[in-house]
Amino acid sequence: MTSKSLQLRLGVTACVFALFLVVFAIPQFVSAPSNVGKIILSPLFWPYTIAGLTCLIGLLLILGWWRTVEDGVVLEEPSENRPAAIARLFGLAVIMIAMVWLLPVLGMVWTCMLAFVASAVLVQTRHPKIALICAVLVPLALYVFFAHVAGVAIPQGEFVRLP
Amino acid sequence: MSFLDSIAAGLSVVANFEAFLALFAGIIIGVIGGAIPGMSATMAVALTLPFTFSLTPITGILLLLGVYKGGIFGGSIPAILIKTPGTPASSATILDGYPLAEKGEAGRALGMALWASCTADLISNLALILFAGWLASFALNFGPPEFFALILFSLTIIAGVSGESLLRGGLSAILGLLLATIGLDLVYGTNRFTFGNPNMMGGLNFIAVLIGLFAIPEIIAMAWNPTAHIGKTRKLGAKWVTLKDYFASFKSIVRGSLIGVFMGSIPGIGAAPSAFLSYSEARRKSPNKEKFGTGEIEGVAASEAGNNGVAGATLIPLLALGVPGDVITAIILGAFMIHGLQPGPMMFVLNVDIIYGLFIGLIVSSVFLFFIGSVAIRGFKYVADVPKRILMPAVLVLCVFGVFAVNNNLFDVAVMFAMGWVGYAMMRHRIPPAPFLIAFILGPLLEDNFRQSMLMSGSDFAVLFRGPITWFFWTAAIVTVIAISRSAFASRRKIVAAVQEEQRNG
Repeated sequence: MTSKSLQLRLGVTACVFALFLVVFAIPQFVSAPSNVGKIILSPLFWPYTIAGLTCLIGLLLILGWWRTVEDGVVLEEPSENRPAAIARLFGLAVIMIAMVWLLPVLGMVWTCMLAFVASAVLVQTRHPKIALICAVLVPLALYVFFAHVAGVAIPQGEFVRLP
Repeated sequence: MSFLDSIAAGLSVVANFEAFLALFAGIIIGVIGGAIPGMSATMAVALTLPFTFSLTPITGILLLLGVYKGGIFGGSIPAILIKTPGTPASSATILDGYPLAEKGEAGRALGMALWASCTADLISNLALILFAGWLASFALNFGPPEFFALILFSLTIIAGVSGESLLRGGLSAILGLLLATIGLDLVYGTNRFTFGNPNMMGGLNFIAVLIGLFAIPEIIAMAWNPTAHIGKTRKLGAKWVTLKDYFASFKSIVRGSLIGVFMGSIPGIGAAPSAFLSYSEARRKSPNKEKFGTGEIEGVAASEAGNNGVAGATLIPLLALGVPGDVITAIILGAFMIHGLQPGPMMFVLNVDIIYGLFIGLIVSSVFLFFIGSVAIRGFKYVADVPKRILMPAVLVLCVFGVFAVNNNLFDVAVMFAMGWVGYAMMRHRIPPAPFLIAFILGPLLEDNFRQSMLMSGSDFAVLFRGPITWFFWTAAIVTVIAISRSAFASRRKIVAAVQEEQRNG
């Protein structure tokens, strides 16, 4: 992806997104009372204004793409092995979804310990023993601070409860 | 209330061990956060924010201000030693700092960075004390139309200067404005983009959006390329900065500090442009201008004075007008709100003790920074050696605990992860996150003041241009847009010319 193609990609996305907002999202998900006298005071006015501005910026980005000279400089972030990098991204997404799902079941401390280990494995840490020790100590230390100092009710889960 | 009464009121809230300990700890956290490449002062402030919930407002905000001040200085350490700025503000420090490190004078460069930073910090804090109260008393005359014009002006600057592309910055700000519309309508109380979920009726949690945008993308980027951070650390060398060096650069330090104060007091400019302007002015005025870029100690002094001069001044619009000067002060604005305080002119009337307590704390922070910075320079090796592939999982866990602690709500954790992927997509597409966050904060204020103006005028747009204050902000906004557009066109012409030149040369 070059700077020029990025302009086009963003411009088209912004225009499509603005169209989606105007045609579907705003009429569907923004409710307004039927007796609003002036459009300016309606709850719909601001979202429609933002949609219009999104479209305007999208069009300007496309115009920018049309007028930009191709410099050939590739903007892609380097990665030695692209399929492996994509797999790691997918793995991290799975870890995040699993965390949200497991937090009420296992509790925050145990879920975070598992997530720490999983993410350290994912990024191929060179210090597995330190990672394991940190995986236990960091969530416990944070639990002690938030639960006992800040008085936050940290979710304990349904299995092992901490003092 | 007289000035002395205000100072006494400030001392009554700040003169305790806990407040100064928080400030001290904040500077240590900031220096470490700023010194770790990829962590940044912004992320350090964002991650510290949840720890302030259990503290009193003044202690919590002093902790964050300490992180802010420490982070800006901390960024210069890796900039000089490994040519990687810990914060964008330290980019100009590389120009002469790294060549000095290559000559074996890293300790001298770091010492000068510290001395210049502390001097600039002190000047910036004094400017804050002198000007914030005056600006706040002036802002007491503001009504909704004036605030609307002011916030619009702030948005034009923020969208324009926050990235390499004006349009991408604008797109980012628009997305932030859109996200800010989620929740109940401000006037009619009807649902907007809540999708029937009660968790979204109060809008998205600011901390979840903030941490999602600034911390989580770094973790995702680490997953994409786990070895991107690996670099080499240099030794400090035997040569240290001397008073002679300091006084030889003193003019540049003061000039840089004043540039920082001026640029910091304008919302959205930020520390990096100030550092570069200070550096270029120092080079222009120096008799050794040909040595700049090859390891000139005055270059380090000028760039560090430029970026640290901003740190106190960005609090001027925050405290006086309730408008954040940069992304870190936007986070600090969130901290004020979490503690039930609303920065702005009324705060100088209702919470004068907190305002003056902060002023006292800020003055003390310059002294703390000097001592902590001296130790940090020698201890950088240990900071640089923290394995990033252990640090990032720890940051992930810290984010989860911190975001949950705001509202005791697991939904916020899901919002943070979702925003993290949005932030990563923005990072990959070179869309800066700062305008997004600032627009997300200013969006509701902009809409609220606009609709209040319309309600009070019977929907007459003329109210938005009702007096000299609104005219001033409209003019400033238009001038800014023209200036930004001209600069964007000029840089585009340069790129086109360079590409054509390259094509001609085959």
